[in-house]
Amino acid sequence: MRPIGFSTGALAKGDFERGLRLQADLPEVRAVELSALRDHELPALAKAAAELALFRFQYVSVHAPSKLGTLGELAIFELLKQLPAAWPIVVHPEILQSPELWRSLGSRLCIENMDNRKTAGRTVPELRRQFEIFPEASFCLDVGHAQQIDPTMAVAILMLLEFGPRLRQLHVSEVGPKGEHRALGAMAKAAYSRLASHVPESCPIIIESVIAVKAIAAEFEAISRVFDQSLVEAHRSFAFG
Amino acid sequence: MTSAVEDLEAALGADWKAIRAARAWTAETLTTLREGLASLEDPGYSVVITGSYGRGEATRGSDADWFLLVDGPSNPEHIRVAKEIGRRIKSVVRKETGTTKTFADIVASHDLVHYIAGTRDTNLNLTRRILLLSESTYLTGQLVREKVVRNVLNRYVFFDRSVHAPGDEFVRIPHFLLNDIVRYWRTMASDFASKMWEGDRTGWGIRNIKLRFSRKLLFVGGLLSSFAGELFPSAALGQATTEDDFLTLLADLVCEQTSISPLDQLARVLLNSPVAPELAQQIFSAYEIFLDALSQDDVREKLEHVKFEQAAGDETYHRLRIESRNFRHGINDLFFDPKKGHEVLIKLIRNVGVF
Repeated sequence: MRPIGFSTGALAKGDFERGLRLQADLPEVRAVELSALRDHELPALAKAAAELALFRFQYVSVHAPSKLGTLGELAIFELLKQLPAAWPIVVHPEILQSPELWRSLGSRLCIENMDNRKTAGRTVPELRRQFEIFPEASFCLDVGHAQQIDPTMAVAILMLLEFGPRLRQLHVSEVGPKGEHRALGAMAKAAYSRLASHVPESCPIIIESVIAVKAIAAEFEAISRVFDQSLVEAHRSFAFG
Repeated sequence: MTSAVEDLEAALGADWKAIRAARAWTAETLTTLREGLASLEDPGYSVVITGSYGRGEATRGSDADWFLLVDGPSNPEHIRVAKEIGRRIKSVVRKETGTTKTFADIVASHDLVHYIAGTRDTNLNLTRRILLLSESTYLTGQLVREKVVRNVLNRYVFFDRSVHAPGDEFVRIPHFLLNDIVRYWRTMASDFASKMWEGDRTGWGIRNIKLRFSRKLLFVGGLLSSFAGELFPSAALGQATTEDDFLTLLADLVCEQTSISPLDQLARVLLNSPVAPELAQQIFSAYEIFLDALSQDDVREKLEHVKFEQAAGDETYHRLRIESRNFRHGINDLFFDPKKGHEVLIKLIRNVGVF
């Protein structure tokens, strides 16, 4: 069964411990992404990492800060490097200013495709350039970002065809016009279900939908169904009538 | 990297000064326009430019056929943004746009995507849609323009399906798109006649010459885009195992063509086939003469003001009219002549071009 779970940042912005607690009641959750999207969160996460009770998770990743703010690039890199070696480090291309530094992470470096507010990593050619610079890096397909760039899902499918062997995890949420991550609507569900057959059963899904606490279980269930390969035909008949 | 036109020019040992100059002028002006509009970037719209700037063939006398393509929530502020865009574009490209309101206006992506054919499609909507696909580029919002293009192509390709039985090969020609490309070419020709009938003969000479050259080239580019699945099948297309994936990737392949100028599309076809070099030379030399003529202010002026009744004796008009026949004969031979033409194009145009 595919490991699926939430980004702590989506459930509790800036509070990874609460983000973990909020998914504790869902026994099906077997993946988690520890978010340090804002750089001030990273030192606390690095300090707590060894003590966190993560044994129930089959898959754990960490999201690096999306911008350089209070910490410099080197400081962020050093803090991330201290984290357990089994955790992939999900990064936005914009923070990779010193390639030789990040290249040393090998396949632990997991590059995410971006939304339309960014200037790199948004399209297949832009992502291809990233993987030329970081040839060992793995890939996090942010499905919402790809759909925002191309609602027909051709870009997402092309990313999976070209970068499929690097695929480490999926980010799933619907992304609004201003880049906001939100719960999946009907059209996003229909569009995303078209990717199910391209995503191996072993590939973890990290849910990034920013939702109310009471909606956590429903969002988990909805996204699990969207990527359930046995339901592909059912989704298709919904989409095409 | 060199363009297909440059490669063809080198392969033929030709010297197409006017084409090169027009491309350089276009590139330089587009850079200036993009810089001038950079502060108006917004994820909800794209400023799109079509016409000669969209084709990469603008000259000093060209106008800027632009529109504000809104893809997202409607906002009353769009009108103020549009006015500011118009002001900034005018400060770079001074020539007035046409009077039909096809351009310099706000265009909602909704109409372009949803009103394709059927009773709600209008001449204006058809024009904007096909120009967006066939000869446009962005001034702001590159990805927004591309997203709308993809959505329009999705209507034409993904949602227009033929009956598919197990074991059937996937159909590589998007017939809905092809039919609309043909429809638009015929519409342009019919609209020329309509304007003449309505008595609007202002600028008829330059419209007539453009119909013979650049509008015809636009049609050729549209045909080549529609045939991309046969002419330039991508590796990804071959990897598709389901009809959904195949049609998504076919739409993507057609989308790629919308970023290539019609002249480059044509040059690429001529380069990648055993078409007689004389034929390639004939087509491009004629177009070179057309662009050279439009780059000269006095010639453009004459074409804009020549009276229909005096056209037969007008040396400028007559010379370009004769040259347009060389262009037409060359294109005809490319698509129809088994000895000189392009083998795949001849097969395609016979099979799906008319009936």
